[in-house]
Amino acid sequence: MKLAKMSIAGSLESNDALITIQPVDKRGVELVIESIVEKQFKDRIEKAVRQVLKDYDIDGVYVRVQDRGALDCTLKARMEAAILRGKGDLQ
Amino acid sequence: MFYEREINLNRSEEANKVRGFLNSLGLKFPEGSEYTVGVFYGEEIVGTGSLAGSVLQGIGIAPQFQGEGISARIITNLMKKALGKGREHLFIFTKPETAAQFQNLGFKKVAEALPFAVLLEWGGQGIDGFKSHLMKISRNKPEGASCIVVNCNPFTMGHRYLIEKAARESPWLYILVVEEDRSLFPFHVRFRLIKEGVKDLKNLSVIPGGEYVISSATFPSYFTREEDLAAAQASLDLEVFSTHIAPPLKVIKRYVGEEPYCPVTSVYNRCMKELLPQKGIQVVEVPRLKIGVEAVSASRVRELIKRGGVEKTRELVPESTYSYLVSPEAREVIERIKRSSSRH
Repeated sequence: MKLAKMSIAGSLESNDALITIQPVDKRGVELVIESIVEKQFKDRIEKAVRQVLKDYDIDGVYVRVQDRGALDCTLKARMEAAILRGKGDLQ
Repeated sequence: MFYEREINLNRSEEANKVRGFLNSLGLKFPEGSEYTVGVFYGEEIVGTGSLAGSVLQGIGIAPQFQGEGISARIITNLMKKALGKGREHLFIFTKPETAAQFQNLGFKKVAEALPFAVLLEWGGQGIDGFKSHLMKISRNKPEGASCIVVNCNPFTMGHRYLIEKAARESPWLYILVVEEDRSLFPFHVRFRLIKEGVKDLKNLSVIPGGEYVISSATFPSYFTREEDLAAAQASLDLEVFSTHIAPPLKVIKRYVGEEPYCPVTSVYNRCMKELLPQKGIQVVEVPRLKIGVEAVSASRVRELIKRGGVEKTRELVPESTYSYLVSPEAREVIERIKRSSSRH
């Protein structure tokens, strides 16, 4: 399913992540990950983000993750908040 | 603990607190801010930042609190505010020595004019997206083209004269129209009047300037008339033009009208003649077309509308512009001109 609008969740503070998601005209997921711990954890971040997108059945989306060392649970929570806002379910 | 809150700019006490804080850091509170956030430690302000359109500005953090994540808080706060207003492509102007701090927060460098300033961006298609857009436009067009950057507020015989000359002397001409909507005539009107006014000329393209052509991001003082800042910002704007805009359009010449009146624009023209040739772009400054004793300019047209009414502008503008001016569609704009004291 597609998002209704662009949305943002999280922050750029330490141990958090800023997630920007935006509906796009093509299918699939375009994912950009920037992390201060990219070398060690990029794969893990990608896995966590894709899982949430799958759980919510989101398609045709651009996702930018600016990770500042967030734990998996934080990442997932930020992703969920961004998706719900993008769907218009959450302010 | 730190906490953040919006600064009410309408309350002078609050606004002065921010002003004083920035002054103590050797910074000026930026005019034109529509939203300002402050980070506090108890009663004490330790950081601030503002939003003006898609520009994040007036960002300052007390030195003794640097490294506490305050800039991250400010930037996050401003990003969310901007996004809430539907602005997803953001800019920061900063000094070269502080650019890294914002790059760490995910901003990317568009251009730098050392030693004055660096322009950074976040989100949107980015400068690379704009370049590939320009490359598509120029794909089947000749090399060695020319370019004119115009605002055309509104399109006059003076613009027409400059464009005709440039088109005659060039294999192809690109007319880049300043897209930002801060002029009295809205962008869609300015753009349409230019297209109509040049439609008999075959070797040119009229294209929207996007966010990188004298927008408030690349050249804010164009809209505030602070001449001392103008040189620094003009250098930055010209850097963007020569590295990101001219090459994808295969442009080697830039035409510009002589500027006898507006001091900011004349600084801009001077910088242009100094900087662009170093980048292999020739600058051709064309004297203004005169009708009667005075040069034709958009500001003269607006002045005439302001004082006498639209009929007075007849010989200064092409037919297409004139028929717009006398149409009902223009009524609102004309009212605004009559009330305005702005030069732009």
